[in-house]
Amino acid sequence: MFELDVRSRKPIYEQLVEKLKQLIINDVLKEDEKLPSVRELAQQLTINPNTIQKAYRELESQGYIYSLKGKGSFVHPSGKVDNEEELKKVREELKKLFAEAIYLGMTSEEIAALLQEVEGGQQDD
Amino acid sequence: MIEVNTVSKSFDRTRVLKDVSFHVKKGSIYGLLGSNGAGKTTLMRILTGILKQNNGQVHVLEDGVFENESVKQRMVFIPDSLYFLPQYTTRQMADYHRSMYDSWNEERYEKLKNVFQLDEKKKISQFSKGMQRQVAFWLAMSAMPDVLILDEPFDGLDAVMRQKVRNLIIQDVAEREMTVLISSHNLREVEDICDHVGILHKGEILLERDLDDLKADVHKIQVAFNEDSFQPEESNLDILHKEKRGSVWLLIVRGNEADISAGIKKHRPLVYDRLPLTLEEIFIYEMGGVGYAFENILV
Repeated sequence: MFELDVRSRKPIYEQLVEKLKQLIINDVLKEDEKLPSVRELAQQLTINPNTIQKAYRELESQGYIYSLKGKGSFVHPSGKVDNEEELKKVREELKKLFAEAIYLGMTSEEIAALLQEVEGGQQDD
Repeated sequence: MIEVNTVSKSFDRTRVLKDVSFHVKKGSIYGLLGSNGAGKTTLMRILTGILKQNNGQVHVLEDGVFENESVKQRMVFIPDSLYFLPQYTTRQMADYHRSMYDSWNEERYEKLKNVFQLDEKKKISQFSKGMQRQVAFWLAMSAMPDVLILDEPFDGLDAVMRQKVRNLIIQDVAEREMTVLISSHNLREVEDICDHVGILHKGEILLERDLDDLKADVHKIQVAFNEDSFQPEESNLDILHKEKRGSVWLLIVRGNEADISAGIKKHRPLVYDRLPLTLEEIFIYEMGGVGYAFENILV
């Protein structure tokens, strides 16, 4: 289903949470679809089942999935997902890029123009 | 599942373990790390009832281990240096294990034959080091233990076999909630598979934690400031290690991410990068904290 980067410095548990979130946000995992069981996933990825359990618990507390006793974990249908974390990260990334752009001599007008271009592009879809 | 309380052990006048306490939960994979000569192997030999501690209690599966057959029935120990009965073939060793372990699973043994692809009728002494270790795992996994204790388990196995063996261990942890204790020098191996780690140094447990919590708690930070006003000592950060390369500070800081970011940003850094640490780095810095430091050695 997906691969984890075991060489990455990021804890495996965080990687798992992020990967599964992506799959849910991008509708690869549909509403009410069953997630692979802890056992299956542990064997597929050769990672500790306790780590997977922890990732599932985290996703559940963040409202991405729900679990039914004895049946497994499923994707939560309501798109009510708090993006606070994600937004914070994006903001940080943008700040870094802006700093670089300004250093390289880009003006705020040019940045604004870029932003407009991106917004315009999305409206065309 | 495994409970060790204030265990001490001395050989003659040398104290090898001092008041060691740690706990391993059922279904957990616990990594026992330590400097050379820290007492890891001694601790494992006490846990498996080969040695008797001088002080303290050791409980495995809610019972004492030493001279206790019913507990030993349910655990398998693969030691650092393997032992097989002289002149025995794998098949003969398997029969020997079957006579020892009530839980022996012949069906599993046959299945694992395809995994390891070793000739069971060949004398084990003729096998290479890595192949002998495969035999040890083959026998251990066929005995279906509730507790598996491994001393430097991946030594001598090639990359493919290591992955196969890890996968076998994980299956048993996932399906039967087998409890595993692994000691290893290879921290990368431990990092991938363990959920808890304990660090042993000079016979004492330095720290014992959930691996993810441990990683979330220590950070490597690179910062640079406009003027030389920043003094790490004056900040309210819990700094384990600091180093200045040119105008860039390299800091190892303990604490949660948000607090650290807030603490650094207060000083308006020009550059601020935060990286999670690898287990190897955590080990080196924790060891450095107790005077077992890595220094650039000139010879």
